[in-house]
Amino acid sequence: MIEIRNITKTYNKETVLKIDSLKINSGQTFGLVGNNGAGKTTLFSALLDLIKPTTGEVLNNGINVRTSEDWKSFTSAFLDESFLISYLMPEEYFYFVGELRNFSKKQVDEFLSQFEDLFNGEILGGKKFIRDLSKGNQKKVGIVAALIGDPEVIVLDEPFANLDPTTQIRLKKIIKNLSQKVGVTVLVSSHDLQDVTEVSDRIVLLEKGLVIKDIKKTKKTLQDLESYFTKE
Amino acid sequence: MFQLIKLEYKSFFRSSTLGGKIAAKIFMWLSYIYILFMTIGLAFIHGNGGAAFVKQEADVENPFLLLNSNMLFYIFVFWVVGRYFGQATPIINIKPLLLLRINRDKIIRFSLNKTIFSFFNLISILYLIIFSLTIYSPEKFDLTQLMLWNLSMYFILYITNFLNIYLNKKDRVVIVLGVILVIVYALDYFQIFSFNPISEWIFYMFYEDKILVIIPIIILAFTYYRVIQFFKNNFFIDTGLRKKVMEAKQDNLVFLNRFGDMSTFLRNDFRLIKRSKRARTTALMSLLCILYGLIFLGTQDLLGDTMLFFGYLFSTGGFIFTFCALVPSWDSQHYSFMMCQNIKYVDYIKSKWYLGSFGVIIATIIALPIYGFFGSYHLIAVLCCGLFNLGVNSYLTLWAGAFTKVKIDLDSFKNAMGNTKALNSKTMLLTLPQMVLPLVLYWVVSTFFGHTIGCISVGSIGILGVLFKDMVLNIIIKTYKIEKYSTLSAYKETN
Repeated sequence: MIEIRNITKTYNKETVLKIDSLKINSGQTFGLVGNNGAGKTTLFSALLDLIKPTTGEVLNNGINVRTSEDWKSFTSAFLDESFLISYLMPEEYFYFVGELRNFSKKQVDEFLSQFEDLFNGEILGGKKFIRDLSKGNQKKVGIVAALIGDPEVIVLDEPFANLDPTTQIRLKKIIKNLSQKVGVTVLVSSHDLQDVTEVSDRIVLLEKGLVIKDIKKTKKTLQDLESYFTKE
Repeated sequence: MFQLIKLEYKSFFRSSTLGGKIAAKIFMWLSYIYILFMTIGLAFIHGNGGAAFVKQEADVENPFLLLNSNMLFYIFVFWVVGRYFGQATPIINIKPLLLLRINRDKIIRFSLNKTIFSFFNLISILYLIIFSLTIYSPEKFDLTQLMLWNLSMYFILYITNFLNIYLNKKDRVVIVLGVILVIVYALDYFQIFSFNPISEWIFYMFYEDKILVIIPIIILAFTYYRVIQFFKNNFFIDTGLRKKVMEAKQDNLVFLNRFGDMSTFLRNDFRLIKRSKRARTTALMSLLCILYGLIFLGTQDLLGDTMLFFGYLFSTGGFIFTFCALVPSWDSQHYSFMMCQNIKYVDYIKSKWYLGSFGVIIATIIALPIYGFFGSYHLIAVLCCGLFNLGVNSYLTLWAGAFTKVKIDLDSFKNAMGNTKALNSKTMLLTLPQMVLPLVLYWVVSTFFGHTIGCISVGSIGILGVLFKDMVLNIIIKTYKIEKYSTLSAYKETN
């Protein structure tokens, strides 16, 4: 589904990302781990054409993201709060995203009903704009909006950070459910090794922009990763 | 104090859009110099009793009385309402400073005292000084009295200065003042009632009676004290700096549905204007622009037809020059989101063009009856100016938007004093070619073929622009695609 070829990103002679080749198959749940500055967000940004890689290219379903915009119809993402429109109410925001993905209001309402648990009564039907929600609730809005309209590629940067434990557990369940669906590719990054190993079936470890480990998840994966990070 | 200045200096020079900022600063300084010379010239001419430059010989017996009789109006137009739009409120990124070991009073006084030396105030004082020097002669005036009169005026100036800071969170007061001004001006224009004798009586008193200087001093001291108190009380993180929570109400804006796919975006832009204070102030200002032509209508004999045409260009294009000049900055907070959605970049840009044309059409519809009232001469001029704005200036603004890269913080209560200034010197820079182009065309054509043909020539270019909409937008989008990445990174920057 996603193919990364010879990608590098250099800021002022400092290379922050250098990946020769990385293929993510359709239907995979892909976890990205690494310390701060490892290049996780840079990689995701390049994938969404938000930064211009110094060299190389990203193909999303065979489409070069730099030259065509067709990938936008089946890809969705939530990277940070810049993916929210602060002056809208959560409902208005969901409908807006729905409209862009050809979902009617009714379809959006129906879709949102499955997240009642996650929203915990704090998001829908309130009298607040997104800007007045708490950080955690804002995140919930952004993540759920990224799932509207049956996207085939979903990119989530640090989805578990800032969330309370209950929500984290519910979110993990949602992501696991997504990966059960045929043809849905989920890309998740995290600092938290446990979270990410729990939801993904393939894990890539980045360190200073380089791929250090690329492993299929087994029972031993979490232990492996933990020992890697303790070593240093 | 020095530390605070250093911080502002750093935030300027370390900004990623430094080049643009410097260009804007240079433009700002050039316009300052222009205004400086205009002020000196005007003060000199007024002091010599000339009403304007064109009339050479003195036609006013006593310029001092004339100034006094107009003082009240000028104070309100320039010092109160003009200042509200033109002068930025002092802003310091205050939150991180509050926890440091800088005295809170010091921060407040620093930001307030900075305004004392604002260009706006200095220029007003300069005018008064030059005016006074020009009129002064030992036979006619008493030096002490004149100096005290001057002092009183400076104090009044600074009363309006601090009042403006205080009022900056209250749109309503300014709207009310604006409406009163228009009424007062209309009453005077149609010779129903004139406030000039009252104004003359009040302000001449400051000259006649030396002791009266105390009144503005007391009021000034009181205003300064009030403003300081106001900020002191609002300077805790949990009160003044916290965003005001406005009760949200969903609105579906069904009437926009007729615009098809574009309605999705137009709806959000309407909500933005409704819900963000800064967007609202800017949109409001573009409404006021509609009346701008009246200034040139009143002085047509003096300044000529071309200046009147300029006025009409501004009247119908106000929304483009103010609000749209900050497109796509209004979306700066969620620009990366927009870039990832299931929408072509060109459609997004197109929706912004529709927004601009919406503004032009509304302004033209409002302006037509106002100016059409004075005859078909004005009717056709307004209509053609509207067309030009619709078909040419809207694109130019949009194209320049690719380079603006100013981040707008919509939830701006983070700054204690609220970042509500509607004007941006960078965006004003662009209005120059947008004005010069049609003006030159109109001037040349109308000189040879008369007013009507002159208007039509400008208007037909506008129509051409509308007809070739898709072609022009496709050219514009290329620039946007090139600038996309640096725009995204500029929007990521705080401050």
